[in-house]
Formats: sequence, structure tokens, C-alpha cells
Amino acid sequence: MNNHSEKTGVPDSHGKAGTQSNTGRVEELIRHAIHWLPTQGPISVFVHHNTLHALEDLPFELAVTAGAERFGCEPWWSEARYREEVLVGRIRQEDLQETLLEDLGDQADLLVGSFGTRFALRMAMLEFPLQSYPDVELKWLLAETDMLQRFHSGVPAATQRSLVAKTRTWLEEMESAAGSGQSGRESDEALAALVSKRFNGGRQGLLRDFQSARAGAATLQVLWEVVRAGTRDLPVVAANTLRAIRPRDRIHAVSEVDPDLLVHEVLIRFCAAFLDQGLAARRLPGRANGFAKSFVSVLGAGTWPRPDWMRSSAALFCKVLEPDWEPLASILESLEHFRVPPSEQGEFLERTLLALPGWAGMIWQMETNAPWTPRPAPPGSLREFLAVRLILDRCALEHVERLVKRETVRIRAGVSAAARLSLARAFTIFQMAQVRGWQPVQLAAMPVEQWAALVNEMEAFSSRERRRVFHLAYERRFRARVLDALAIHAPQRMAVCEPVRPAWQLITCIDDREESFRRHVEEIDPACETFGAAGFFAVVMYYRGVDQAHFRPLCPINVVPRHQVREVPRFSLRMADQARSRRRRWLGLASRGVNVSSRSLLGGALAGLAGTVATLPLLGRVLAPGWTAWIRASAGELVRPVATELDLARDDGAVAFGDLAQGFTTAEMAGIVVRLLQDIGLVKHFSPVIVLLGHGSNSLNNPHESAYNCGACSGSKGGPNARAFAWMANQPRVRSLVRERGIDLPDEVHFVGGIHDTCTDRIDCFDLDAVPPWHREQLLRIEASLAEACQRNAHERSRRFESVSLDATSTRALVEVRQRAEDLSQVRPEYNHATTAICLVGRRAWSRGLFLDRRAFLVSYDPEVDDPERTILARILAAVIPVCGGISLEYLFSCLDPEGYGCGSKLPHNIVSLAGVMTGAASDLRPGLSQQMTEIHEPMRLLFVVEANPAELDEVVRSNRVTEQMVGHAWVQLATLDPGSGDIRILKRGGSEPWKPRTGELPCAASSREWYRGQRGHLGFAQIGDVVAAGQASKKGCH
Amino acid sequence: MGTSEQWLAWLGMATVISPVALLLLLGTSMLAGLRASELWVGQLTRAAVLIGLLATLGVLVLMLVTGVRYVPVGLGDWVHLGGTGHEFSFHLKFNFDRLSVPFTILVFVLCGTISEFAQRYLHREAGFRRFYLLYALFLAGMVVSSLAGTIETLFLGWEFVGLSSAMLIAYFHERRGPVQNGLRVWAVYRLADAAFLVAALAMHHLHGHGDFGHFTGVGPWPDGRADLGAGPAMLVGLLLLVAAAGKSALVPFSGWLPRAMEGPTPSSAVFYGALSVHLGAYLLLRVNPVLQESWIVRLLVVAVGLATAISAAISARVQSDVKSALAYASLTQVGLIVVEIGLGLNYLALIHIIGHASLRTLQLLRAPTALRDWQQIENAIGPESPVRDGRLGEAAPGWAAIAVYRFGLERGFFDTLLDRFLVAPLMGLFRESDRLERIWTDWLDRRPSRESDLAELHPEGEGE
Repeated sequence: MNNHSEKTGVPDSHGKAGTQSNTGRVEELIRHAIHWLPTQGPISVFVHHNTLHALEDLPFELAVTAGAERFGCEPWWSEARYREEVLVGRIRQEDLQETLLEDLGDQADLLVGSFGTRFALRMAMLEFPLQSYPDVELKWLLAETDMLQRFHSGVPAATQRSLVAKTRTWLEEMESAAGSGQSGRESDEALAALVSKRFNGGRQGLLRDFQSARAGAATLQVLWEVVRAGTRDLPVVAANTLRAIRPRDRIHAVSEVDPDLLVHEVLIRFCAAFLDQGLAARRLPGRANGFAKSFVSVLGAGTWPRPDWMRSSAALFCKVLEPDWEPLASILESLEHFRVPPSEQGEFLERTLLALPGWAGMIWQMETNAPWTPRPAPPGSLREFLAVRLILDRCALEHVERLVKRETVRIRAGVSAAARLSLARAFTIFQMAQVRGWQPVQLAAMPVEQWAALVNEMEAFSSRERRRVFHLAYERRFRARVLDALAIHAPQRMAVCEPVRPAWQLITCIDDREESFRRHVEEIDPACETFGAAGFFAVVMYYRGVDQAHFRPLCPINVVPRHQVREVPRFSLRMADQARSRRRRWLGLASRGVNVSSRSLLGGALAGLAGTVATLPLLGRVLAPGWTAWIRASAGELVRPVATELDLARDDGAVAFGDLAQGFTTAEMAGIVVRLLQDIGLVKHFSPVIVLLGHGSNSLNNPHESAYNCGACSGSKGGPNARAFAWMANQPRVRSLVRERGIDLPDEVHFVGGIHDTCTDRIDCFDLDAVPPWHREQLLRIEASLAEACQRNAHERSRRFESVSLDATSTRALVEVRQRAEDLSQVRPEYNHATTAICLVGRRAWSRGLFLDRRAFLVSYDPEVDDPERTILARILAAVIPVCGGISLEYLFSCLDPEGYGCGSKLPHNIVSLAGVMTGAASDLRPGLSQQMTEIHEPMRLLFVVEANPAELDEVVRSNRVTEQMVGHAWVQLATLDPGSGDIRILKRGGSEPWKPRTGELPCAASSREWYRGQRGHLGFAQIGDVVAAGQASKKGCH
Repeated sequence: MGTSEQWLAWLGMATVISPVALLLLLGTSMLAGLRASELWVGQLTRAAVLIGLLATLGVLVLMLVTGVRYVPVGLGDWVHLGGTGHEFSFHLKFNFDRLSVPFTILVFVLCGTISEFAQRYLHREAGFRRFYLLYALFLAGMVVSSLAGTIETLFLGWEFVGLSSAMLIAYFHERRGPVQNGLRVWAVYRLADAAFLVAALAMHHLHGHGDFGHFTGVGPWPDGRADLGAGPAMLVGLLLLVAAAGKSALVPFSGWLPRAMEGPTPSSAVFYGALSVHLGAYLLLRVNPVLQESWIVRLLVVAVGLATAISAAISARVQSDVKSALAYASLTQVGLIVVEIGLGLNYLALIHIIGHASLRTLQLLRAPTALRDWQQIENAIGPESPVRDGRLGEAAPGWAAIAVYRFGLERGFFDTLLDRFLVAPLMGLFRESDRLERIWTDWLDRRPSRESDLAELHPEGEGE
């Protein structure tokens, strides 16, 4: 990862260095190249991560540019897209100005010739939509449209008049000077020459135009000619195009056939077969022999009708089957065949792998990172893939070289980049001259050096640079709104006395989707206190449910569990459970049978003849998804597991088998309980009942379903973690150990675990029978509040779904969201993290009552509970910054370029190998997020606001390599909120600066519903209810 | 009796006119630049499908009640040329009989379902209206060709279906793959169309008109007897077989079917899983009396069907993406249906078509859920791999296993063979003709004769 910029590879090995060292070198180069591949594993375990993880050691803005070049993606939105945001007021002029000033630093006041300061020029370039067109189109536009007849609509009338007037005077002076025989100024001579050359009527004709209504057009034409003349002979720096490193790039530039397309058609099909986890009924023969050998035995050797371009491959491939064949040696041979100089070999291999990044990345993931899958790839697969690919490249290249037509070469080569650039650059200046009112007379007098300076100045602020500034302004505006809201709200809230002992407490995941849920719970029951903790609740385990086939890790992806936990039926119900699991198995076998045999010859014939029956589920599914779901659910009762429990406890003395312990010891459990309670700062004022809710999401028609689950549980549902934690914390023995460690957890407190389905807004609590009878009344109150909160939450979510009416009732909204989950045709079951933008780390006290529009991760942390070294903060941030930052960055990039970084539209997605999705019939594997997932996203780096002292926070961040990199290189934004005063400071490289609020007002609304009702888009922040009164109410509720 | 005939005529006309009206409405509103709302498009489509479906059901009921088994509905004679002997007329004529009524009901039911599905599936999609326009074109094409009473009418619907299919494959036209594959499918369709057209011409030549009711002899379907001789029947039958093979992706044209899976899932489902792919078989079913005249044709039909079924069954087992797997599974059954037609089992084939189309539509609509379904099955069955483990012999697979696998993976080599033995020679022929023509015209002109050679050339655009 560190050597990504090392494009040159290792210096040439001199003379007759052994092949051994050469292959070692190639191995090293491949290792570097692999860093560029996407790290998304099989789609059934989708974990969000930074799309540009390979570039994390560069500052964000540089990395975005570098990434865009390397992956061929868009670095930012288009200028037009940002201008739309300007139009709707999402980016204001002030934001642009401030951003630009900050970006330019002390160069803002630099004068550019006589055209004003650099700041003014760049600001004008930002404000005015500069158009740029391809050369051919520009020629056509100039000739056929009124571009040279009419001023651009953005040019103020005064500027137009002044341009026309000055130009006319100039022409008239020149005419009279010529009449009187005086030799004019230099500019006049130049213009005179130009006029006589370019305008048919000569000077008089032009002047006549000025007297007529065509004055504007005549001015524009003079201006255009002046600009053309001024810029025509300036040197053109060759456009920063990608060098043709692969021979395919050179050929493709002049040929209509892309050799890669030929290779990919074969390779994609084979990779899919090679990685298949069980979708195809027939397995790839000889897969155990590795990628290369199985490829060659199926497609390389033997006599069969090959595509034309592959005909020469048999000879090359026959070597692969020899026992001493080495992929590295083969790669080396191919490198020599292509005559790649050693200095370029590294980049050559990178680009070769990146020609099909999805598949190459998945092979690497399946080879190194997926031991839990049914069929991981054998070691060395990626190297063999590369070796095979290079051999195929050789064949395809030879074939295409034969096909290339001289005519195409002539056409493509005939257009020099320089000529193209010259016209485009003149057009840019032409537009700018109109807006800024640059007089032709002034331009015509300009010496070449000044022209060059002007052109350089404008080209330095290229479209990409402008887009970057737009983006920064876009982020800046949002940051200001968040910090302003907090600066007003937090001090007010902190002044309010907090409840001594809340009526009940709720712990949810930090997930941004739980923000609205928590807010509604707090609104419904002000005596409730809520907390946010990473959704695995400090329980790190491999878990297998009673109706699941495999153990799955329920913990963050970077943690390796050392414990296994199984869900087992209640002892007294074990017989009933056996019957049900038999039924499940029978049903499973039957549905597999139908599935498999309906695709076969004879089974399919039977199924086809009886297929009319399929119209029933078909019509039901599509026309009445709700009813169908109800019928299915009722039928599902027959096979649902009976009451269960978790097999959690292990004797303290018991020895673990192998690496994995079955269950936890009392001491381990106490450690888990203490850790979570410390993390969220819940060490006193325990309420009698404490509810923990993990979360997950159920939806149909959604290959990315796992991405909607809990990120802290590796893309699984977090219910078992909540259940396990509650069970542990309820154990008397655990509790006494916890007390020994300094947390006084009273005996009467009872924990209840549950799961919140973020798609259907349904809550299921576990082990309710274990709740002591004296808590049951309390439990009923809690259940009622949670049910109401679900309904309100569904209502708030529904406002984002265009297909749900804005004046739907909350009961209706709940029905709608539940229906979505069961609807085969629904591509937006929920919007997942699409609205994420902020992460608040600190006590809920100061953010409670603030409408955050489901945009914030809410991490509970209490600085008062923390030690002076900030150990707790350090361990929280070490997890939260990479995880939440990764989520936001994946959304950011997938949203900036849905086709490049994202996986495009969901509509043509095609599940392949049970490992990922392709677009359509055959394409590269598509990692990233779909357009439907990101369509309402605002791409911004996540803004962390941490309740801490800036200096201490800085130290904490630096203590961890990952957080240091992400913060130091500005992959996330960081601000602090002072625990005492509520003052906000922004952390910048090398220090912090206080936040000066732009406004002293924050809107108020009586309830969340009142604030969001009738609105579809992103909303501003608002205080919900009377903050002071709310605080007192909650105080009352608990006495 | 008179009223029921009147009613039949009205209902029959409603069946045909409602999808055509939908097409016209959607088309003209788009042409006029109106940005109709998703809701409006959806409601309009729903209304058209419902009217069509109810009208067809009405026809069915009336036919059952009155015992009439053959109801022709004419929409006029549009072209009339020539005198006695070699005349040509273009009748828009629709037949309601035991073949077309069930098939039309199937078309309406499946298309209606897909329309409901697509309204949610394509919600907020930029090409929503374009999708529905093409959908309307497809629906109109399907209805016209299933009810067609003359071969020209059938050809008209057939072309609608082909055009909308190709355009829907290329629906995501900003990417290269869909456009390329759409073009390939279009090329195969053209070949099929050419064969169809020649067959229609031949029929006209032999008969003077293309009315199924006449040349498939007396009696309503399927009891018709063609009154062609064995020789002409063979010629026409072979041409129609080629046409059907192209449309239904039979051997050797099978290669296009998986390539067609480029569009949005609902269009893939209804076209290549269900309706469009059966249209070739439907044609054969319609002209079965002609096929039955010549045992050579029947043999060939059975052979082509069998070859398709077997090769597609092998390919289906090897495909590792869900849509291709379903495409080949679909093709397997289409092959069998063709075999049944060849054997003269008309009713069996019709039932098979209807059942299979419904089943496959459901399966394709579920395709994006395949991962979840698979996990559920695995969870239910238990931790052992749900697919029978072929680990034995995996390390040293026999040559036969490899050969079969290769056949499946390379999809029967049909595309390669077509490219080599059909496309390449044809292209060569055209290029050679072009070269000869240029020599000839240059010689006549005594100078370079092609103005197009002198045009200023420029690249297609920036970059690619």
C-alpha cells in the first residue's frame, strides 16, 4: 500500500541475473499491484469500506485525483451538477468565496496581467458556466448556431453595451486614422490585418454592421477573431493523457476492435465458473488443480471450434499443463514478449489487473480472505489468472493487429491533440472575455507573453480544479449548518438538569438509521434515556442460529472471534424442534428439487406442463405482495424454530477446543459487560429495565441485502449480540464480578435484548419470559413506546420514498414499509446509509432534542467516565473512525461516479457465482453501491464532532495508525465539542480553530413530525419541543 | 345468433385495438415532448391491458357458449394490386380460434403482470417512458402476431416484437455491451425475418394470398389440412423453420439468448424467458398443417428441437450466472415444445408453452433474490453443501467430462460456428462485391468514382 506511487518498480536487474530473482521481482510487483484491487468479498457478506483504500496514505484531494486517473473514474460530480446545487441554494456564493480564499491562501491577491486578481478571475470562472465541447462539435456550433451572433445569456447588459461601444470607437478611430494616413498603434495594425483577412466587407463593412442592429454580433466576431489570433500560436502542453503502457492501449487507439473485449468474453465466463459457489449445477472439472490448469484443460487444450483469435493459443497453452509450469515464469515470459521495459513492468501489471478489476479482486479475496465460503479459491489463483490473461492478451493482440485498417489509423492519427486544444482554449477565453467585459482593443494590444500568462492562468484552474472547489464549498456549507446547530443547541441542553434515574434505558447501534428511532422514543417517552454503541455490543463471536447452516462472525470485520455460540432449542422443546427442523429440511429439499429440476430437460418439461400453477404465486407476488407475505408468514409458522436459548456459558475451567472456545467464561462475560457500559458511559443511574436493540434488514430482490445489515456485525443481523449481552449482564455471577470492577449494577436491573428491523420497522425482543414479574408492567410500557416509535419512524422514513404519499398516516406508512420488504419488484426496500453525513461522539445529553434528519451516527461516550489517558475514547475512535468513515467514503465515491466506483443501476444486475453481481449478460464483477442506493445521498466526508478537549483528541487520534491517517489526510472531518462549555473547535492539520457560528437562531418545532411533514428532500436542523421544558418533564417522569 | 356474432366482432376488435391505441398514445405523447408522469403511464398501460384481457376473455366465453371455434375479424383490405392470377392484397385479418385465444390470454396476463412489476421496479428511472413505449410496441406486436389471420399480419406483429426486443436489450444504451448484444440479436432476427418474408412470398406465389384460413385448408385449427403439394410445402416449411429458429433461438442461433439478458430484469423475464422466445414455436404451431404435409420438414423440426433441447440442457447446467442459467433452462423447454410440434402434438405443445412461460416469468422475476433463496435452502437443508459434491474425480477429470463442460461453457460453440461459417463468408462476399463494383465504376468514370472516399474524415468523438 505504501508503494503505490512507485511506478517504476525495481531497477533493471543487470546482465544475467537468475530467473529466480526475476520471478521474485515479478512477485513483488504483483503484490504491489494487488493493492489497487477492490477489497469487497462475496456479496453475502458485504462490508462497507473506503473505495480508495489503496490511496489512504495520500491526502484526500490528491488521492481523489490519483484514483480517478488510475481507475478511469470521475473525481467529482460534473460542474453542471454542482451548479444545480448552487441554483437551489445548497451552495451559496459566500461558500464558494470562502472556499476559494482558503484554497488560494496568500495567492488570492496575485494580479493576473490587467485582468484583476487571481481570486476574482477564478471566482468568475466558478460563477459563470464555462462550456467546453469536443473539437468537432465546437466547430459545428460556431458555424451553425448563434454563438458568434448573440452574447451569452449570462453577460450583463451593461457589459454588453460597453463592449459594443468601445469596440466601435476603436474601429472608428482606426478608420479615421487610416483615412488620414497616420500609422496606428500596434493593436490597430494587428486588427487591420485581421479585419481585411477575415471579414469580407473589410473595415467599412464591419463599421456598417456596427451602425445597424448587428452591432452585438459584429463585436463578438471581432472579439472571437482577436482571441483566436492571440491564442493560436501559443505552445500547447500535451494533454495529460494516460501513457499507453499496455500494448492493447496503443492498438485500441487506432483500431475499432478492442482486444480486451475478445479476452474478456472468454475470461469472464471462465472466472464466473471458477469462483462459482454453487449456482451452476455442474462444477468446473479440475478446479482443484488451480486456475491455470483448469482453464487450459477446458479452454486451452483439445480440438474444438475456437473463436478465430484464440486459434494460436493452443501452442502457448500446452506448456501450462506441464508439471513444472510456474505462473511467475510465464508472466515474466509474457512481459518479455511484450518487451515491457523493467521500469514499466510494475505499472504494466497494475493496469493489466485493473482491466478487469472486479473479477481479479474477487479471485484475490476468495483466495486469501474467504475460508468460510463453500468453495474458496486455491492459493496462487490470482497469479495464475494473470499468467493466463497475459497469454490470452498475446493472442488477441496478434489477431487485432492483423485486422487494423490503415484508414482508421489515418483518421485517428490525423487529429493532433494540439489543434484540438487550441480551439477549445480560445473558446474558453472568448466566453470569459464576454462575462468579464475584456475589451477587444485591450486584448489585441496584448503581447504574446501576456496571452501565455492569461492562458496558463485559466488552464491552471481547469474544470477538474473547479469541480474540486465546488465540492469543498458543498461540504463547507453543510459543515457550517451542522456546527451552527450544535453550537446553539448543545449549551442549551447542557444547562438543563438531566434525569437522575430514567424510567428506562435503550441501547441501540450507532447506526444513522437509529437516530430517528431514538429521537422518536425520546419524544414519546421523555423519561427514557438512549445510548448508542457499536451494534455488536462488545460480544465478539461466531454465531449459528438454530435454523442456520453456518457459523458467521458477528463482530467488526477487523476482529477475529475466539468464541463460538450456538442457538439451541429450549431443552423441554427439543422434540418439537426436531419435528420442525425435519419439516424445514423437507421443504428445503423440495424447493431445491423444484429449482434445480425445473431447469433440467425432463424435470423442466414436467414443471413446464404444470407451470400454469406458477401464475398464482406470480400474480400474488406482484399484484398483492402484502397478502402473499401474510400467507407465507402464516405457513412459515409450521417450520419456524421453537423457543430457543443461546448456549453461552462455559465452565471457567473448561479448555477450549482448538482455536475456538464454545461460549464464554464468567470472567469473559464480566469483561464484555464492563466494556460496553464504560464505552457508553452508563455506570450509574441504571433504570430497572434496560433494552438493547441490535439491528438488521430483511428485503427481497436485493443482492446487496447484507449491506443493509449491521456493519459492526460483518453484514449480519445484530440481534444475537444484543440477546447474548442481555443474558450475560443478567447473570448474578457476572454481575458480582462487574461490581468488583467498580460498576455498581444493582440486582433489580434487568436487561432485555432485541432486534430492530430497519426495513420493516419491526422489533422483536428475546427471552421475555425471563423478565421478573415485578418488571412486567414496566415492560408493557416499554413495548408500547417502542411500537409507537416504530410507527413514527416508518412515517419519517416514508417521506423519502416518492411512491408513498406525503400525507399518509403513520399507520399507513408502517404498512407501506413492511410491504416494501416483501415486494419482489421493489429496488429501494430502504435507503440504508444514504443520508449519512455526521458522527457525534459524546453524551446524548447535548444532542437530544435536535432533529438530525437521520444523518448522524450517534456514539455514546462520557468523558467523565473516561480516565485521564482517554483510553475509552481511544478504543471507541479506533473502531468508529474507520468503520463510519468507510461507510461514508464508499457512499461518497459510489455517488460521485455511480458507474465507475459504484455498481451502476440495479435494474440489469445479474447475480453471478453467488459471489457478486454483473451488469447484464456478462460484465466485470461490480463492487460498490448501486445508483438506487445512493440517489438521495449527499457525497461528503463524514464530519465527526467529538466531545473532548482538542489537544487530548489530537493525541488520541495520533495514537492509532489508521485514525491518524484518516484524520491527518482529511478523509474525515473532525471537530470537538468542549465537555464543559459546549464550545466547538475545528481540528485542522497542526492545530484547531474555534468555530464562529454564522447564525444565532435554530428553528423550533413541536415534534419531529411537525418539522418533516410534507417535505421530501434533506431538511435543516431544528430543535424539537421546548428544550428546557423537555428536560424538566423527563426529570418528573422518573420520580 | 346475429347479436353474438356482433359481440364477437366488437370484442375481437377491442382486443387488437387496445394495445395499438396504447402504443399510439404513448408514442405521440413522447413525440410531442410531453413528460407524462409515471402514474399516468402506468394507469394507461393497466387500462389497455385490462381492456384487452377482458375482451379476449369475453371472446372465449362467447366461443364456448355458442360453440363457434373459429372467429375471423377483419380490419379491412389495405392494399390491393394486380388483376387475375397474380394479385396481391394486404388483409388485416385476425383469427380467434383454439390456438390464438389461449395464447393471447397468456400474453395479456404476463404482460399485465410485468407492467405492474415494472412500475415499481423502474420507478425514478430516467428511461421509464421509453421502457413503456417499447413495452407497448412489444404488447401490440405479440397480440397482432398471435391473432394474425394472414401471414402478412403475422409478419407485421413479428416485426414489432423483433424491433422492441432489440431496443430493449439495448435499453442501457450508454454502455457498450447492451448495444453490441442488441445489434447481434437484431442481426439474427433479420435473418429470421428474411426467411419469413421469402416464405410469405412463396405462399403468395403458390396461392395468391396469405390467409391462413385458406392455405391451411378447411376446418379450424388444429384440424386444418394444407392444400399445398409436398414439394412447395417443404420449401415453405423449411423457410418457416429458419424463421422460427431465429426467433426462438433454436440451434444454431441459440447464442443470442443469454446475450439478451442486458435489459432491466422485467423485460428480460417477459421477452426471453416467456413470450418472445416462444413466438417461433407459436409460428410453427400456427402453420403446422403446412409442416405436416412434408415428412422431411417434420423430421427436421423434430431434429432441430431435439438438438436445441439437449444442447441447452447441457449449457444450462454449466452457466454460473442466474440469468443465463434461466435463459438456457427456458431454451431447453422451447426445444422440447418444437419437438412436440414436429410430432404433431399440438395441444400438448400449447399447454407446454403456456405453463412454461408462466413458470419462467416467475423464476426470472425472482432472479435478483437468488442469493437469498439459496441461503434459505442451505439453512433449511443443513450445513452440508446443497449441491452434490463432485469432489471425487475433480482433480483428474475425464476427457468426456471436460468435453461436455466445454460444450456447455462455450454454449455449444454456436456463436463461433455462425461467425466463421455464416458471418465471415457473407462479409467477405459483400466486401468482394464492393471491391469489384469500385473497380468497375472507376473504370467507367476513368477516375475515382466514389465521392464518399473524398469526404473529410474525423474521429467519432473524444476518446472512444
